[in-house]
Amino acid sequence: MMRRLTLVAAALAALAALSCSSDKRTVLTVYSPHGKDLLGYLEQGFEKAHPDIDVQWVDMGSQEVLDRVRAEAANPQADVWFGAPAEAFDRATKENLLQPYIPTWSNAVAVDGRDSGDHWYGTYLTPEVIAYNTDAVTREEAPKDWDDVLDPKWKGKVLIRDPIASGTMRAIFGAIVARSVAKTGSPESGYEWLRKLDANTRDYVLNPTILYQKLGRQEGVITLWDMPDIATLRQRLKIPVDYIIPASGTPLLVDGIAIVKGTKHPKEAKLYYEFVTTPEALKAAAGQFLRIPARTDIPQAELPQWIQDANAKIKPMPVDRKMMAEHLNEWMKYWDASIRNSERNK
Amino acid sequence: MKMPADRRRSWALAAPVFVLLLWTVVFPNVAVILGSFENGLGHWREFMASPADREALTTSIVISLASVVASLLIGVPLAFLLSRFEFPGRKILRAVATLPAALPPLVGVIAFLFLYGESGLVTRGVQRLLGMTEAPWRLTGVWAIIFVHAYTMYVYVFLFVSAGLQRLDTTLEEAASGLGASSWQRLRRVTLPLLTPALAGSMLLVFMMSLGSFSAPYIFGGGIRVLSTQIVSSKLNGSMGLAYVETTVLALSAVAGLLLFRWFEGKRKYTSSGKGSATRRAITSRKAQIAVVILSVATVVILVLPHLMVVLVSFAVDGAWTTQVLPPAYTLDNYRHLVTEAQLWKPIINSVSMALIATAANVLVCFVAAYLIVLRRFAGRRMLEILVALPWAIPATAIALGLAATFNRNDPLAGRVLLVGTFWILPLAYFVRGVPLVSTAVESSLRQLDPSLEDAARGLGASWWLTMRRVILPAARPGLIAGALLAAVTAVGEFVASVVLYTHANRPISIEILAQLRALAFGTAAAYSVLLIVLVLIMTLTARGLEDRMA
Repeated sequence: MMRRLTLVAAALAALAALSCSSDKRTVLTVYSPHGKDLLGYLEQGFEKAHPDIDVQWVDMGSQEVLDRVRAEAANPQADVWFGAPAEAFDRATKENLLQPYIPTWSNAVAVDGRDSGDHWYGTYLTPEVIAYNTDAVTREEAPKDWDDVLDPKWKGKVLIRDPIASGTMRAIFGAIVARSVAKTGSPESGYEWLRKLDANTRDYVLNPTILYQKLGRQEGVITLWDMPDIATLRQRLKIPVDYIIPASGTPLLVDGIAIVKGTKHPKEAKLYYEFVTTPEALKAAAGQFLRIPARTDIPQAELPQWIQDANAKIKPMPVDRKMMAEHLNEWMKYWDASIRNSERNK
Repeated sequence: MKMPADRRRSWALAAPVFVLLLWTVVFPNVAVILGSFENGLGHWREFMASPADREALTTSIVISLASVVASLLIGVPLAFLLSRFEFPGRKILRAVATLPAALPPLVGVIAFLFLYGESGLVTRGVQRLLGMTEAPWRLTGVWAIIFVHAYTMYVYVFLFVSAGLQRLDTTLEEAASGLGASSWQRLRRVTLPLLTPALAGSMLLVFMMSLGSFSAPYIFGGGIRVLSTQIVSSKLNGSMGLAYVETTVLALSAVAGLLLFRWFEGKRKYTSSGKGSATRRAITSRKAQIAVVILSVATVVILVLPHLMVVLVSFAVDGAWTTQVLPPAYTLDNYRHLVTEAQLWKPIINSVSMALIATAANVLVCFVAAYLIVLRRFAGRRMLEILVALPWAIPATAIALGLAATFNRNDPLAGRVLLVGTFWILPLAYFVRGVPLVSTAVESSLRQLDPSLEDAARGLGASWWLTMRRVILPAARPGLIAGALLAAVTAVGEFVASVVLYTHANRPISIEILAQLRALAFGTAAAYSVLLIVLVLIMTLTARGLEDRMA
């Protein structure tokens, strides 16, 4: 009996040792929503260039990254935060969670593609678009602009990712309310717009995967989402969906990168920061993973054709980031409490 | 003051267990409750004023009660059928009846989506068959969640009632009919009262699990709100105070449920002495035989379908399956993907080792606790009983949030150790969740031991340690093995607490499946799930073998 117990204990210890296996490389932890494929690709390249660093990325939604970085503020676990809409970075900056850093290419990015205090810089641009299932809706029928999505003919056919947990949806909803504030000085007409959208909504989907799944299988045929992801579904996963760039203009989200305040590996964090934003890395991300680079010093001609086409059509919607940082939370709370489900299925 | 040696020993054993449970179970939850008052009653007022939160509370309770009813409706008749009647196919039905428990929560929900979702296999099949233009039903909202809960949780009712029926002496029922009782009277006055402990225990378990259930509302509940998802959404929105209030309310509802079912159990307490001798009656009527066989076949199909679905999806080409009933193209790529994945074994090794570490700790601590509760008379007994049952009353999301709030910095004087972001936070979470499972199992084994045996051994001059090894441990063994298996299986597929607490170094299988789902690799996610199901089966078989060899 005792011998058996000793054996079990030894086996347990061996397993534990195996799972906390130590190698001598410095571990650099990256929190990112960019997904296994892109992160794995960049990890490979980076570790080849820096054999003494072991990149460990944790893949989760951008709101979840913010939540984690906040929860771990007393003892930061992450070194780099790679990927989130500007709004999330602005909140993190306000909560003093980020470490300022000026990248070597700081001049090659638009003024609204960076934080004025250098807490984060833009890496990719994500235009928001209207997406539709190409088996069910022809390009001619599909909504051409935001207001077209409110047409009663789409009643019960629109899928919306639950905006509370999604940076993309918060950006779209925020832009709609901000547009109303800019025009009328009050969020009321924006709320009215969202109420009409609620009436057309078939389901609020709690995560993107189920959203893509439902859209691909025609459980709803229209959604609002970001262009690179829809392009990925179409080009890489062969799901029958396509997008329309809204005619009146669209929020052009800046997706950024930042160093987490209190990182234990500032030197390595900077190396990674620089590595993933070189023109070569950005071009590879554009070609293989359909990300649109934010750096302005990359010649258009060197980018994939679909990005050149889109760039010609996109009309950026001006977004007041300061107002967003101050009010978006309160707008979203109002939406959640008073608009969600108020008209749906009626 | 001098205590008798016996009482001193009880306290010497009890003290470390008390300290450990107070520190890992009570302390984190106190931290959550205190957190909810961080700006006085402000967050509570916010909670009361929010229609969303009130709706979430009501929906949570309605879903939990409905899940209890649904589980009873399936579990009780099935238990009766299988333990009281002999019919063709009984063995097969018996074998698959507990299958839903082997399906990890997240995997089960995904399988349901592919089967009964609006574009699922069964749904599209029925739609084609009836030539309808719209899906005949939509798997969404309250009903969808109750449906999934009923499928996964009826197993507990079934297991508890089956065990109760086995212990129940059929001669009592025969005596009742001998005295002229109709079969309805017999059921109402004899059988059901004797089954009350089994019913109350399983109802409580189902209620708690539904209350804390996260995967089903997370996938199906897009339109509706329950507390467990509301907590996560408040947290994501940066309102930690509100999340603490919601967590406290969720735990309070669980405690209310605990009291309700305990009251129900205590109200009618009947015990029968004797070991129980159950006999199975053969079904003789031809018509009844056919009906039972048809019913059994249907039940078996429904029970096995989600597992088959996971296997089917693991062979389907991602993205190709859109509006067809069955996947149009098949491939081995998903498994190939898995095998070529450099990091394939990492999550598996993580899950297995963390589950084993947690379970080993559970076995040690819960054995001591159960021994103290059942066989020792000392002042802290009742208190200990409540402590080991407490994690049952606290939904997994709440446990995770509590641990995250407590062990996020080093402050030994305040009892805080930095575990968040380290390997050890997940084994700790699994340990906390396993405490009531293992304790209950060991307690029930020890209750069957005549306490006079221990006294007899001591009286015959055996040392305390010898008595422990020769009398108590063998008596506790069946419960230890069963409880450990249950705890290990739960831990290996755990998702709800893991998603809040994991790090890159200790990411478990469930998180890997989630990552594959995020990348829209349904096929690879399914292949991983098949691996997880196989792992659970291996564990179950190992435990069975262990049991047989030691018996």
